[in-house]
Amino acid sequence: MTHNRASGDTPPLPANEDLEALRGLLFKREIALIDQLRERLDDQAMHARDVSNVVAEALLLRAHKDDRLQVALEPIVENLFQVSLRKNPHRFTNVLFPLMGPAIRKSIAETFRSMLESFNKSIEMSFSWQGLRWRFEAMRTGKPFSEIVLLHTLVYRVEQVFFIHSETGLEIAHVADEGADAQDAGMVSAMLTAIQDFVRDCFTGDKDGELESLQHGEYIFLVEKDPRAYIACQIRGTPPSGFRERVRSALENMLIEYAEPLESFSGDTAPFATADRYLNSLFISRFVDEDKPLPLWVKALPVLLLLGLAGWFGFSRYEAYQDQREAVRREEAKKTFYTGMYAALEPLRDEPGFMVADIRARDEAPWEVRLLRDDLARTPEAVLAEKGLDSSRYVFTIVPYVSYERSIVARRVHSNIHPPSSVHMTFGDDGTLYFSGTAPMEWMLQARQEALMLPGVQAIDMQGVTDPRMERLTLMVQSVERIAVRFPLGKDIPVPGDTAKLAEAVNTLVGIEKLAAEMGTAASLTIYGHPDYTGQEKRNYEISQARARIIAAMLYAKGSSLPIALYGMGAEYAYKRDNGASVGDESSRRIEMKVHLAKAGDATPDILRK
Amino acid sequence: MINKKICMLGAFSVGKTALVQRYVHSIFSDKYLSTVGVKISKKEMSVDGTDVTLVLWDMEGKDLYVDVNIAYLRGAMGYFLVVDGKRKETLQVALDLRNIAVNLVGPKVPHTILLNKADIESEWEVTEEDIASLQAQGISVLKTSAKTGLAVEDAFICLARAML
Repeated sequence: MTHNRASGDTPPLPANEDLEALRGLLFKREIALIDQLRERLDDQAMHARDVSNVVAEALLLRAHKDDRLQVALEPIVENLFQVSLRKNPHRFTNVLFPLMGPAIRKSIAETFRSMLESFNKSIEMSFSWQGLRWRFEAMRTGKPFSEIVLLHTLVYRVEQVFFIHSETGLEIAHVADEGADAQDAGMVSAMLTAIQDFVRDCFTGDKDGELESLQHGEYIFLVEKDPRAYIACQIRGTPPSGFRERVRSALENMLIEYAEPLESFSGDTAPFATADRYLNSLFISRFVDEDKPLPLWVKALPVLLLLGLAGWFGFSRYEAYQDQREAVRREEAKKTFYTGMYAALEPLRDEPGFMVADIRARDEAPWEVRLLRDDLARTPEAVLAEKGLDSSRYVFTIVPYVSYERSIVARRVHSNIHPPSSVHMTFGDDGTLYFSGTAPMEWMLQARQEALMLPGVQAIDMQGVTDPRMERLTLMVQSVERIAVRFPLGKDIPVPGDTAKLAEAVNTLVGIEKLAAEMGTAASLTIYGHPDYTGQEKRNYEISQARARIIAAMLYAKGSSLPIALYGMGAEYAYKRDNGASVGDESSRRIEMKVHLAKAGDATPDILRK
Repeated sequence: MINKKICMLGAFSVGKTALVQRYVHSIFSDKYLSTVGVKISKKEMSVDGTDVTLVLWDMEGKDLYVDVNIAYLRGAMGYFLVVDGKRKETLQVALDLRNIAVNLVGPKVPHTILLNKADIESEWEVTEEDIASLQAQGISVLKTSAKTGLAVEDAFICLARAML
């Protein structure tokens, strides 16, 4: 920093060059020193360096000397904390976090200790002879029991603390213990001050004396006074000897901290908002039995409780262990039981048409068994009896169901379609039911339809079943159809030798009709008349028809009752060519018979269907 | 909270206690006046939005035989001087007491002379000239009545406002 001497505080000397030169010669060194000092005084940075060299030592010295430094720094530090906390609360959270855990633990431990003490005291007060006596006293006097206990056990207790301005008698701060019978603190403060003035006036000989305490009944007002302010404590009982020093110390600290607001006090209590912490430190109390050793049984009570708790805990653990073991044992027994039952009921499980659904576990027979059983299966008693097992050990609950097992399906088919003993039944790999052997045709027709509707039957094959009557019928038909009746040229009456063949044919036709009726089929006959194709076509056609008609009439006459269809074959029919017959051939003049078998009611000849 | 100590001064039997009895709260009985020489009362009020608690020191009346205990005046932040309008001599007592108070607490402490028994003003010995004379000296004067409550509340408000 540059220094302008002309503008400094030093008054300018007269402008005398000689004098100036002389001064320069005489005080050159001093002037340089003054310049240095001036520069040092004006240089703020140098000031800061100088102060920084001694500030720590200065703070230490002052802190050892008195409390003024703390008092001076406290509002600044508080303000700093508040500002910093508002700006960055997370930093404080991080700093406080490691401290909070132990603090909370300590608080909880203290609470428990207090609870235990209170518990001990309550037990002692409630059950002891003394406690009962006090309870009686409370009933007799009408006072609350807590009041009686307090009267008998309290040595001292600070109930109210006042911080009062000495000159005006105005209350600055006041704290009352919970439960204390506190009057209006402002009026009490003023009256207390007035009484002190009154007492001072009464004892005119000692103007410097102060009223230090007031006693009324069990209460004492202890006063610790300073010309600026004083503390008054309302105490129940007799306070300990060191209590006044404690009050004095609190007062001194408050006088230091609140020196300025006390000096300018005009009734505003706002600057003393934090004074409660000093006053709260004066709340002490003591009870008569605090030092008295607790009775042995009270001391032992927590231990007994702990032992009881431990015993209960151990017993409950043992019970839980036993329960667990019992559960395992039961589970094993159940497992063994079911394994045994599983083996014992194996015949039922292997029996077709049975399913063992459930077995209710019981220690002793009879055991309840729930069974699914097809109606076609045997009874469980029969199955077990077959294996030599005692079925009376079980109570069966039967639930009907339909089994698809092949043996049961086979039984179902047997009981429904009643196959003759000549029919054999087998299941194919694909589930198809194959029938083989011989059986009547009518049974086959009915059985095919009914069997397919039975549960478990997927498909039926009856190709292996034959009806023995069919062979006979076939033979008879063939014999009839082999008969050839010839005719003379131009005639419709058979040659004499062939008429006998018709009698044979009628016998066979009667047999066919009868057998076909037995088999449930209808037989019919078609007669084809043939010409030799000589002459006119029309004539040939007419004579062939006539020949067929004559033969039909002859058959009816001889006893046949079959329905007969007649056909006269003209030249247009392929029969001539197929037969290889030539025109005028004698063998062509004939009739041909065809037997048709059809379901009852359907007598249409096959030829018409072509 | 702002607390203010105010005193009630006056001659014997001018109606000091009766004047404020209905307007204040006390936990102490009147016998304190004749024993200790003072009775403490309290009045909580709001003046221009500020909560103020006035702690009222009602001091024993002065007469020929009893002098006021000036120690009770120490620290007073305001005071009333009560005069019985029917008894002119009580005005002089009030002025004497004012001199004592001014000497003790200083001339700047607000105070008001309350001319009591205004309900029977026709019987007064204190004249309007006396009042004018007081006002000419810069002394605040209010006519009050303990019987009708005339201007009592106003007196408290005026004094409190002057103290704040």
